[in-house]
Amino acid sequence: MSAYAFYLATIIVYGAVDAMACLALNVEFGFSGISNFGFIIFQSVGAYVAAVLSMPAAASSNGGFQEYILGWNLPWPLPWIGAAIAGGLLALPFVFLVGKRLRGDFAAVGLLVSAVLLNVLVKNYVPLFNGDAGISLVPAPFQSIWNPQGLGYQFAYGAVAVVLTVLVYFLLKRVTESPYGRSLRAMRDNDIVADSLGKSLRRQRTSMLVLGGMVAGLSGAILVGFISLWAPGAWGYAETIVLFAAIILGGAGNHKGAILGAILVPLGFEEITRFLPPLSNPMLVPALEWVAIGLLIILFLWFRPDGILPERRRILSGENASVAEASVAPAGADSDALIKLGNIDELDFRQLLRLKDVVNDHHVILSTQGLSKAFHGVNVVSDVSISIQQGRVTGLIGPNGAGKSTTLAMLAGTLASSGGKIFYEGRDITNVPSHERAQMGLVRTFQLASEFKKLTVLENLVSAIPHQSGDSFWGAVRGKRFWGREDHENIERAKEILGGFGLSHYADTYAGSLSGGQRRLVEIMRALLAEPKVLLLDEPMAGVHPNLAHKIGDQLTRLAQGGMTILMVEHELSIMDAFCDPVIVLAEGRVLAEGTMAELRAKEEVVEAYLVG
Amino acid sequence: MSVELSQAGQVLTATNLSAGYDGRAIVQGVNVEATPGKVVSIVGPNGSGKSTLLKSLVGVVPVLAGTVAIGSRDITNFAPEKVATLGVGYVPQIDDVFPPLTVKENLEIGGFLLPRHDVAGRIEAVLEFFPRLKEMLTRKAGKLSGGERKMLAMGRVLMLAPSVLVLDEPTANLAPMVATQLLEEYIRGFADHGSTVLLVEQRAKAALRISDWTCVLGGGRVVLEGAPKDLERDPVFVESFLGGAARH
Amino acid sequence: MSSFGFGLMTAAVLAIATVGFTMQFAVTNVLNLAYGSVMINSAFVAYYFNKHGMNAWITLIFGVILGSVVSWAINKFVFTPFQRRNLAPITVVIVALGVDLIGTFGLQAIVGGGYVSFSVSPGREFHILGMFLSGMQLIILAICAVVLILVHWLLKYTRLGKAMRATSANANLARNSGVKTQRVISTTWLISGALCGLAGTIFALNTGVFEATSAQLYIVMLLAAMFLGGPGEPYGAMFGALTIGLATEISAAYISPQYKEVVAFVVLLGMLTFRPYGIFGSEKTN
Repeated sequence: MSAYAFYLATIIVYGAVDAMACLALNVEFGFSGISNFGFIIFQSVGAYVAAVLSMPAAASSNGGFQEYILGWNLPWPLPWIGAAIAGGLLALPFVFLVGKRLRGDFAAVGLLVSAVLLNVLVKNYVPLFNGDAGISLVPAPFQSIWNPQGLGYQFAYGAVAVVLTVLVYFLLKRVTESPYGRSLRAMRDNDIVADSLGKSLRRQRTSMLVLGGMVAGLSGAILVGFISLWAPGAWGYAETIVLFAAIILGGAGNHKGAILGAILVPLGFEEITRFLPPLSNPMLVPALEWVAIGLLIILFLWFRPDGILPERRRILSGENASVAEASVAPAGADSDALIKLGNIDELDFRQLLRLKDVVNDHHVILSTQGLSKAFHGVNVVSDVSISIQQGRVTGLIGPNGAGKSTTLAMLAGTLASSGGKIFYEGRDITNVPSHERAQMGLVRTFQLASEFKKLTVLENLVSAIPHQSGDSFWGAVRGKRFWGREDHENIERAKEILGGFGLSHYADTYAGSLSGGQRRLVEIMRALLAEPKVLLLDEPMAGVHPNLAHKIGDQLTRLAQGGMTILMVEHELSIMDAFCDPVIVLAEGRVLAEGTMAELRAKEEVVEAYLVG
Repeated sequence: MSVELSQAGQVLTATNLSAGYDGRAIVQGVNVEATPGKVVSIVGPNGSGKSTLLKSLVGVVPVLAGTVAIGSRDITNFAPEKVATLGVGYVPQIDDVFPPLTVKENLEIGGFLLPRHDVAGRIEAVLEFFPRLKEMLTRKAGKLSGGERKMLAMGRVLMLAPSVLVLDEPTANLAPMVATQLLEEYIRGFADHGSTVLLVEQRAKAALRISDWTCVLGGGRVVLEGAPKDLERDPVFVESFLGGAARH
Repeated sequence: MSSFGFGLMTAAVLAIATVGFTMQFAVTNVLNLAYGSVMINSAFVAYYFNKHGMNAWITLIFGVILGSVVSWAINKFVFTPFQRRNLAPITVVIVALGVDLIGTFGLQAIVGGGYVSFSVSPGREFHILGMFLSGMQLIILAICAVVLILVHWLLKYTRLGKAMRATSANANLARNSGVKTQRVISTTWLISGALCGLAGTIFALNTGVFEATSAQLYIVMLLAAMFLGGPGEPYGAMFGALTIGLATEISAAYISPQYKEVVAFVVLLGMLTFRPYGIFGSEKTN
């Protein structure tokens, strides 16, 4: 009887540790898109730190048969707190890998290799880690007052572990189900676009690596306090893959999925094999376990890539879920019909976008000097010097390949320039990163599809709104009471704009399932909600019905009259004719001419190069 | 033309063609016929589906409905490498060369389907046509200027002596002089030689100058088509392309 | 100077392995993290024949065949179907890790956990340029040199090699030129798999004793060598392998043999951080 009870207690502790680890990794991978292939080292370091903080000085105890650092003999819970801090600090060296726009798989192998190498280091460096043997006789918390071998103690330990896991669950849920969580998922779906809307990728990723690292460290501490053993062999890089398998099975981007995965994979595998009869080849069972995990990963990614409990769609519109489900977009819905639904003419964008009244003085707000960009030594943009005046809609035209999009990308900071300078409000911003430019009011849109696919249309819009009190880690931690009312207002504003564009029915649809034209509209709305001072539009009207395009153009003109500055790359000359003054012509990476459309039509070289050839 | 760079042609027809990615039609119900000795051009604003149309003809974008045929042979949804063997030479608008390969290697890949011993002679012939490339045979294609690069892209296609040339905005981003030369000497020349030329062109007036028939694409459909001299007089066409008054 | 000899050996084997690895990346855009497991499986197949009395050098052929066929099959039946779904590259990398687990531990389940070694005579020792190299080591160096020259000849002077490079640079355009890219990709996997099998077997020969998980650390060296030369660049891979091979062994001699991979690790992280397209490479045009 009591053997089973002890076993039960052990399972509870292991289950809590695995669940905690999976929750943490899921926040990094499932919610933020960080493939932390080195996750296990965070857990491992936490366990080590908890062990050595709770142990007596190495020389004085145990006859000095093992070597380790610290040995501060600290009482619980200090070693566990130390473990969490150590796990968090460990994230910092990896920030440089995930902070920039490195291909996801490249960053992942960097982390994987770090985990492999750290394990080698630990196994071989005796003074710090006691080498391959690891550290044993880690004191159990409270062992001076309560016998750790007793059943009561073991269940109490399990209870503490479970309570902490539940607390972690609620903390992480608080973080992810908030405006901040929305920004994290936006980054996951398309980091370059999130960056262009003012989200600092480095900051967000660092925060999540630190948070995940702290939880991982704590989970390691709980484990080491229970088994009183820390052996480097148990923290091989492949253990990370087990946790990935758990999340893929359970459901990435779903906290309950992570817990389910933890129970099925690391815990389930460990426990099932306990009941197998001993075999002549002792390596056989563990080896087959690994094979099974490999197979599970591949089969699940193929047959059920969203896991057993898929990420759920967030219904922000307030309508009930089944209605929203029914309104999923038919592909390629006729945009003509949509316009009739919309009331874009009646909207007061200035109020909806909370724009302050600005006196249009048409000063030069954005300018470049000798701006250039070369790929493979070939100049795509060379020596472009332009000035954009405040309160005007400036057009940028030119043949395909003239460097229009490249110029726009350099203005927004998406691409680094190879030469020249960019000035915004008199300040040299050539080296200012793109998310800071967005925060300064320089917001761009993209020519190619750039929606956050697994965010609903409404989430796409609201995610762009700057200065949200819930859009920071600490804001999210303070909870819905802190940001809820403001978020509700933001959602209402976004809904109103959505209605204006005739897309109310799609509020709770995943943006990834809209038609091409609808996605362009979502992008324009999203950019407007980012409250730009200067709006850089890259072919915003491509694929949009001409009637709607002209209504949007009218609204943009009104916004410009109210003080917004707009630079628009567009091919449709009728749009240029109707809305843009002045128009800049680029050809072969250079500025060919500038003026009103009428003036440009009078210039032979422009006509020759572009207009009619 | 001194050398037989292109062959007298076959008819390329698209009938009621719809094409696009992920089952979404970008081009809808388009009918185009390109015949030997003629230049057929397709014009229209960006996003109107010009490039998608060409890509679906040569097997790069899936055809969702309708047919593509060479002569009487149905080639709908043939793989691009198969289309190439049937004498269709396609020059994409961008990514039209292999940047890390040398000019010579690019031409060799162009002649991949030729018998091995014919390749060297064929390269000679193509270089006669584009003498500028002669001096840069060992240069990587990625280091060429825009005009040289386009010549190489055309040269690569000519390696197989195509009977049908499918060209996607060959003059994009070329200096006006070079563009005019490319269109009026080379591309018109292919047609005069008897080949079939299907051309997407952004500069409407330039396209009209060398075309026998022009289709205007808008929103994925053919909105207007006709002989250039008729189109030049068509008020709708003039308004949207030749710089007439704005609609408002 | 002896560390230089070791370095040369390591570099030679690494060069073969990295060229295969980088070729796979070049034509299919997959970081095939299962590469090490195919290497060690090839080594064990060769070892199996060696144990049954075959000359170790002849068994290389079986290692090469296994590596070739298995790599081709992994691409054909695992990577290609996943890539058709247009998934993020990271998904395919996770799949590759799954394949790696199956390969490595499937082998362990069959052969058990013990260390084995080829029965092969090291031959007499030669003293060349201040280095002491055994006959066996000289044969390995010779094989590697010949194979690298063959790879160079293949890429630069054959139709297949040019088609491989064209496919890697722009697969759509290659198809428009009449190149059957699917066939070229399959052939590339057969060839790179052969290199993988060869590298695995001579790695095992060169190391002396090995077991089912012996190649798990090798992926660090592979990645470092590949990123140093630029991902997808066979010539870069050769350069990267030479640099990493020499650097690890020399640092092992002067610092500590246990940490020899640390040099590779530092190089890899440095490259990923500052120049992810290699020291000769440049940003790709969009």
